[in-house]
Amino acid sequence: MNFLHLARRNAWRKPLRTLLLMFCVTVAFLIYGLTASFLNGAQGSAGASDDLLGVMNAAGRTAPLPMAYLSRITSEPGVASAAYMARLRGYVNVEKNVVSVSAGDPHLMGRVNGKELGLTPELLSALGQTKDRVLVGRALAQAQGWVIGQRITVTSFQTARKDGSRDWRFEIAGIFDGENASTDTYFVLANYDYINAARARNIDSVDAFIVRPADGVSSGTLAARVDKLFANSAAPTRTQSEKQFLEAFLRQYADVGLIINLVVGAAFVTLLMIVINTMVFAVRERTFEIGLLKTLGFSGNRILALVLGETLIIFVIGGTIGLVLTEAVTVLAGPALGLFLSMTALMRAALFIILLGLVTGLIPAINAMRTPITAAFRAR
Amino acid sequence: MTDRQPESPYITLRAVRKGYRIGGEVISIFADLHLEIPQGDFVAIMGPSGSGKSTLLNMLAGIENPDAGEIAIGGARLDRMGEAARSAWRAHHMEIVFQFYNLLPMLNAAENVELPLLLKPIPAKERRIRVGKVLDLVGLSGREKQYPALMSGGQQQRVGIARAIAADPDLLLCDEPTGDLDRRSADDVLDMLRLLNRELGKTIVMVTHDPQAALHARRTLHLDKGTFVEEKRAA
Repeated sequence: MNFLHLARRNAWRKPLRTLLLMFCVTVAFLIYGLTASFLNGAQGSAGASDDLLGVMNAAGRTAPLPMAYLSRITSEPGVASAAYMARLRGYVNVEKNVVSVSAGDPHLMGRVNGKELGLTPELLSALGQTKDRVLVGRALAQAQGWVIGQRITVTSFQTARKDGSRDWRFEIAGIFDGENASTDTYFVLANYDYINAARARNIDSVDAFIVRPADGVSSGTLAARVDKLFANSAAPTRTQSEKQFLEAFLRQYADVGLIINLVVGAAFVTLLMIVINTMVFAVRERTFEIGLLKTLGFSGNRILALVLGETLIIFVIGGTIGLVLTEAVTVLAGPALGLFLSMTALMRAALFIILLGLVTGLIPAINAMRTPITAAFRAR
Repeated sequence: MTDRQPESPYITLRAVRKGYRIGGEVISIFADLHLEIPQGDFVAIMGPSGSGKSTLLNMLAGIENPDAGEIAIGGARLDRMGEAARSAWRAHHMEIVFQFYNLLPMLNAAENVELPLLLKPIPAKERRIRVGKVLDLVGLSGREKQYPALMSGGQQQRVGIARAIAADPDLLLCDEPTGDLDRRSADDVLDMLRLLNRELGKTIVMVTHDPQAALHARRTLHLDKGTFVEEKRAA
């Protein structure tokens, strides 16, 4: 037997109560883990690049830009490479099965953000072989159960074909994985020429240009210079990094970060109060035994450590289960939901487990430490 | 704290004064108590309820401090120690045998006995050996894994005694150790205490209401209204 064993025995003397406390901790850390995974994942902005710049119409995301802007952007000093992109949003089979298609020039895409998307020369070559070929992100392919060689039809919400149809047929030429787990791969990459030649409106226009700054060039400074190029044109631009764009996009709906912090904060405060309250009562029930331990020679500090050890056991087991469940959810549903539990989030969660375990145990532990033996013996 | 002096008594109480404030009034328990107990003695303290037996035991255990006077055990001045020092002193020099055994219900017999050993720098293997030895000494060999709730009162008290002697203390304080036992179990426990005193040289101070129990001690002190009024020595 050792002190940890003693703390464990104390924690398990009322198994139902301990299990319920652990359940509370599990739920709190599951909430924390999932929200952190959301922010770290493709749905949040944490995985987005701060280096890649997106040039869009200052009037809004849905307003097009002339293709002619490309040569002016490319010739701007400080631009390493630039690509263009037209967006097509639609659905496959049923309207709620929404799919996003980004159409561009395969070689320019490979040069600008091929590394981030994991676009190998083989994939780009496969994409370029025929105009209706597409590359599908791993997350989307897994979610839809698509395989290479399969033909798919995307029914566009807005982009109509010249024949009046909204159905766009593609053949899957390959699947791209993204640079790492936090990369958004829940979309389709298509050939711009195929979309542009067949669409009824906005011919020879793009939805955005993607710019990679040259080494040593500040992305903020370059963004300002690009916008200055078109300041007096018919379609002024707004240039932002990918990260800024995603953050601004999410802020259209709400301050996601603040909401998540409030939800996690509320969960932790509630948890703190429940566990403190329960532990105060649990330790008060044992006042006599604490007095007994003191007569055996257990010092106040040892009693303090014993109670803190007990709350730590509850938090470590409950918190670990919560994080394991989070990992399971991110692995099973991560590709579809864009969740990714990073090592930093995991370390932060581990720190929270220890801190909350100590903080919640502190009040009952100090009470136990300070109880005089004579008062403890009267508690029987 | 002073160094232990071999020629001086093991336990010394000098001019001890102790009272309790109840409401606005101070109830005096001891006005000027003196006591000397040599090392290796087995002293029974008897007296009516309210005579101060439990208060005396608490002061000897360092659980309560006197209002005035000195309490020295083995040369250590308990009345001058702080709470932490008294805890450390108890862990190394003294154990208590309680009337109601006071075993921890979630620990089995062996784990209860091992508790005071956790406070000493003894390796786990040696702790287990020592626990086995003392349980054997109190006749509970083979019941190491048994929980207190499944033991008789006599068996629980034997575990209590095993716990008290496991850490090899110099002093055993017994608070009505047979008060909750039938005669036969009580005699077994008292025989055990006598054995610990005679064979292992433990100094024992036992508070009891039971004259039969007191017969096992080397001498019996009668306490009344905070004063020792009579002393009997065993034949």
